[in-house]
Amino acid sequence: MAVNEKNILNRLYFIAGCMFIFGLAVVFKLLTIQFVVGDEYRALAEKRTVKDVVIPANRGNVYSVKGNLLATSIPKYDIRIDAITPSTKTFQKFLKPLSDSLAAYSGKSSSYYQKEIKKARANKNRYYLLARDIGYSDYIRLRDFPMLNLGAYKGGLIVEQTTKREHPMGGISMRTIGYEREDDDGNITRAGIDGAFGELYLRGVDGHRLKQNIGKGQWKPIVDYNQVEPKDGYDVYTTIDVNVQDIAHHALLEQLELYDAEHGCVVVMEVKTGEIRAISNLAKSPSGTYYEKRNYAVWESHEPGSTFKLATYMAALEDKVVDTSTVIDTGNGVKTFYGKRVRDSRHGGYGKISVGRAFEVSSNIAIASILDDAYAKNPMKFINRLKQWGLNTKLDVSIIGEGDPVIYEPGDKDWSRNALPSMAYGYNLRLTPLQMLTFYNAVANDGEMVKPRFIKQVKELDKEIKVFEKEVRREKICSDATLGAVQAMLKNTVEKGTGRKLYSKYFSMAGKTGTAQTEYWMKGWKENPRYVSSFAGYFPAENPKYSCIVVIHKPSTKKGYYGADVSGPVFKKIARKIFTDTPIIDEIESLEVNNASVEEEFQDYYKIANTYKTIMPNVVGLPAMDAIALCENLGLKVKIEGVGVVTSQSIPKGQKVKKNQTIVLAV
Amino acid sequence: MLRKTDRHFKFDWITIILFFLLVGFGWLNILSASHTGETLDYFNFQDPYSKQLIFIMLSVVLIIITLSIDAKFYERFSSIIYMVALLSLVGVFIFGKTINGATSWYNLGVMTFQPSEFAKAATALAVAKYISDLNTDLKYFKDQLKVFIIIAIPAILILLQNDTGSTLVYAAFFFVLYREGLPTIYLISALLVIIIAILTLKFGIIITTITAVVSVLAYHFTRRKKPSIIQTTLIILAAILFSFAIRYAYNTIIPAHQKDRISIWLRLEKDPSELRKMRQTVAYNLNESEKAISSGGFSGKGFLEGTRTTGKFVPEQHTDYIFTTVGEEWGFIGTFGVVLIFVLLIIRILHLSELQKSQFSRAYGYAVASIFFIHFMINIGMVMGLIPTIGIPLPLFSYGGSGLWGFTILLFIFIKLDSNKINEW
Repeated sequence: MAVNEKNILNRLYFIAGCMFIFGLAVVFKLLTIQFVVGDEYRALAEKRTVKDVVIPANRGNVYSVKGNLLATSIPKYDIRIDAITPSTKTFQKFLKPLSDSLAAYSGKSSSYYQKEIKKARANKNRYYLLARDIGYSDYIRLRDFPMLNLGAYKGGLIVEQTTKREHPMGGISMRTIGYEREDDDGNITRAGIDGAFGELYLRGVDGHRLKQNIGKGQWKPIVDYNQVEPKDGYDVYTTIDVNVQDIAHHALLEQLELYDAEHGCVVVMEVKTGEIRAISNLAKSPSGTYYEKRNYAVWESHEPGSTFKLATYMAALEDKVVDTSTVIDTGNGVKTFYGKRVRDSRHGGYGKISVGRAFEVSSNIAIASILDDAYAKNPMKFINRLKQWGLNTKLDVSIIGEGDPVIYEPGDKDWSRNALPSMAYGYNLRLTPLQMLTFYNAVANDGEMVKPRFIKQVKELDKEIKVFEKEVRREKICSDATLGAVQAMLKNTVEKGTGRKLYSKYFSMAGKTGTAQTEYWMKGWKENPRYVSSFAGYFPAENPKYSCIVVIHKPSTKKGYYGADVSGPVFKKIARKIFTDTPIIDEIESLEVNNASVEEEFQDYYKIANTYKTIMPNVVGLPAMDAIALCENLGLKVKIEGVGVVTSQSIPKGQKVKKNQTIVLAV
Repeated sequence: MLRKTDRHFKFDWITIILFFLLVGFGWLNILSASHTGETLDYFNFQDPYSKQLIFIMLSVVLIIITLSIDAKFYERFSSIIYMVALLSLVGVFIFGKTINGATSWYNLGVMTFQPSEFAKAATALAVAKYISDLNTDLKYFKDQLKVFIIIAIPAILILLQNDTGSTLVYAAFFFVLYREGLPTIYLISALLVIIIAILTLKFGIIITTITAVVSVLAYHFTRRKKPSIIQTTLIILAAILFSFAIRYAYNTIIPAHQKDRISIWLRLEKDPSELRKMRQTVAYNLNESEKAISSGGFSGKGFLEGTRTTGKFVPEQHTDYIFTTVGEEWGFIGTFGVVLIFVLLIIRILHLSELQKSQFSRAYGYAVASIFFIHFMINIGMVMGLIPTIGIPLPLFSYGGSGLWGFTILLFIFIKLDSNKINEW
């Protein structure tokens, strides 16, 4: 033996030492687990034996103005199977019938399910998904499938109920109806009405119930009532009119597809109240289809272009710088302001034209000249007009994410001498479509500027919780004279100006086209020009009911880009549809006046008919329906010839009648 | 030659008492962890506690058989026992049955039988036999290689059965070999390997490299008799290479679930959402077992009173996680008691081994103590998070017939050998 005595002892000590150290480590760890962190673990353990079960409150519904459901929460079910739970016997017996049933339900083959479920069992999958997000009736159906109908403990059925937000209107107006989503980390994303009113009204208050574990994963409520009862959310009634929304959505979609545009939006607003009847925002997806991507109408602040001329002309008219008959020399269609060329769209220019005509044909040079002449020395006078109309402030609408309007003024970094002439035709400033529409609506509403509203009221079942009233932003934006002038100019624009393509002799419209260059500051714009085509206005031109704005970004320039061509038709379609759908109501007065003789006679018939059940009354002069009823009550068989009022009867008045006798009434 | 009647059979009653204490207390805990209904039926042969009762009764029969066989039989037939064990391990691949992913079972109809539990005793006999051969000297590489092969064959067969835990048990023989003269360099190498592996996984290759260079150079320059520069450089290079190999193995070779276990043990995962996910999946067992143990407090909740045990919160509680039942129902007193009994048992065996006259008996004794120790270490360590999760039963305590019988035979062969020492002159 080569190992000497001392060496052996060392080795023995080493081995014993190793074991001893480990033994110490174990005892130390035991002490920490059971005493030091014990309380923490015990609390955790307690949590696992008593748990607070949240009973989610039902989220309120979102309705249209006429009570159509726009968003509602409905229960959905995920059906899974614990592939381990069924006994071998059960599994073998029911695998095929279950697969057959599933196959019949889903359309996949039975062998597919047999294979998958077998695989799940082999892989010890206790959570194999059979169907996701199915409705209640499908859930009832699946629950009764072979094996699953044995329940959780024998058949391995696992049912998980979730609540899903459904939009019965489909994708229409999705961004405006909106949503409120919470991801796994608790971050909430909100959009539209559902998002804006979620916390305040829709969400409700979750209930709580304490449950105790009684072993084997079963939980029993500690008391037989809920500790906190859930309180369901309120319903929100929007101002959206499903019919108008439908028209607006499809008119916009059609035009976007026709012009292969990048995105666009349309808003329809009731003139008197500011209630938004329709709002649609569509953008092209990578696959070429259009969907509600962002709320462009509320969010996208952009250079409006010529639609803004309404404001600039109004400022000039209100300040009495010009009147509609003042003649302006627009020259040959090109004019230089401080080294920058301004062009009119007609080649060769419009020459000398009146202010009114300049608005109709949308001359840039005319309005640029007017503003430059009048305000170059005191631009703030003009800017203050715009501010007076609130064009530089947000509307503060209830939908989240409203874009900021931008109006530059002297002293700003972006202000230059060129700013004023550019502003004249809608550049060098930014507005959202909704802000622009609010201004047009004020003109249509005879100067009263109302705030656009999306919500009418909040209800809990039939109880009103809150009613949203009309909000006035400006009592009167300008004088009646100016109003009359611009209203006429807007009407003329459609009749004989840039909007004449839209003119219809059957219904009247007033509005202004806009064709603005966009991204012109980018390189290579000349080779690949991009435009924003818009149309803003109201209808009918006299006594307006609705105002509407259509903005379409980046239509394919090969197909056209003028506001009148691209956006105008959407406006026209909406106007025509609303016009034709609105019934003309001719009320007939004094319905209460009765024909005395008929009345008297009828009283007689009635008396006789009730007294002498076997004597034929006079039914001539009665409506056929009443006569039939009368005769049949006598037991007669009635034959009718014709429609309307009875003119003769085959059994004369006063004759005795028998049951089942036939009477012929000529009517 | 002494006459037969003069032979003395003095069994070590302390060991035997410790054995029955463990088995008995183990059964109580299995009963607690596995009873389901209101009524207890000890002879329904369905519930684990009922089956274990039968296993225990049969193990008494095994004890009587083991003790009545002549002590010389074990030494003489050790090679044949070893070969039979190997054959039974190979046979599993052909006739075997897969349970929990490990193909290490024979299906005998009424019960399943796991040959790897018996292979431990067989290997211990074979190793003891080889070491005690007069021609064997563990100083020589040739002999080291041979003994390594004896240990490696069953270990590899068990690894192929996909039973990583049982394979690790064969590391126990390292203690035996060390005691019997294996050069210290192996011990140092083994320690270094473990240290480098942990450093690499926890702190990355760069820090490991720096640590290796600094410590090896420090060693190099503090020695009075300077080792050769080439040797030092080679050691550093080997350390760095090994570090890379560990990283590579961790990233590509090791299966995902084992990777997760290591990641949890070394707290490698920092992303809170991943951690949350892990708590529900890979770390679930550890979490639940720590909660169960801690909920027991000092004196426990009492026999059959453990809510987390009855609630079946801890998976595999009656087998690998039986220690959690002790923790919950018997508290610190119970767990400390179990640890104490195990330590006493192991020390008793080591003590008896040193008293052996034959090298065969001594080596075998060491093997028994080491196997018990490594089982105890891995199981308790795993349940409390001291080491990564490795599924291996707590000897004599966990539920399972093969395991109980394997350990019974292992231990009682030694008791028989020990009882025979007086006759060995």
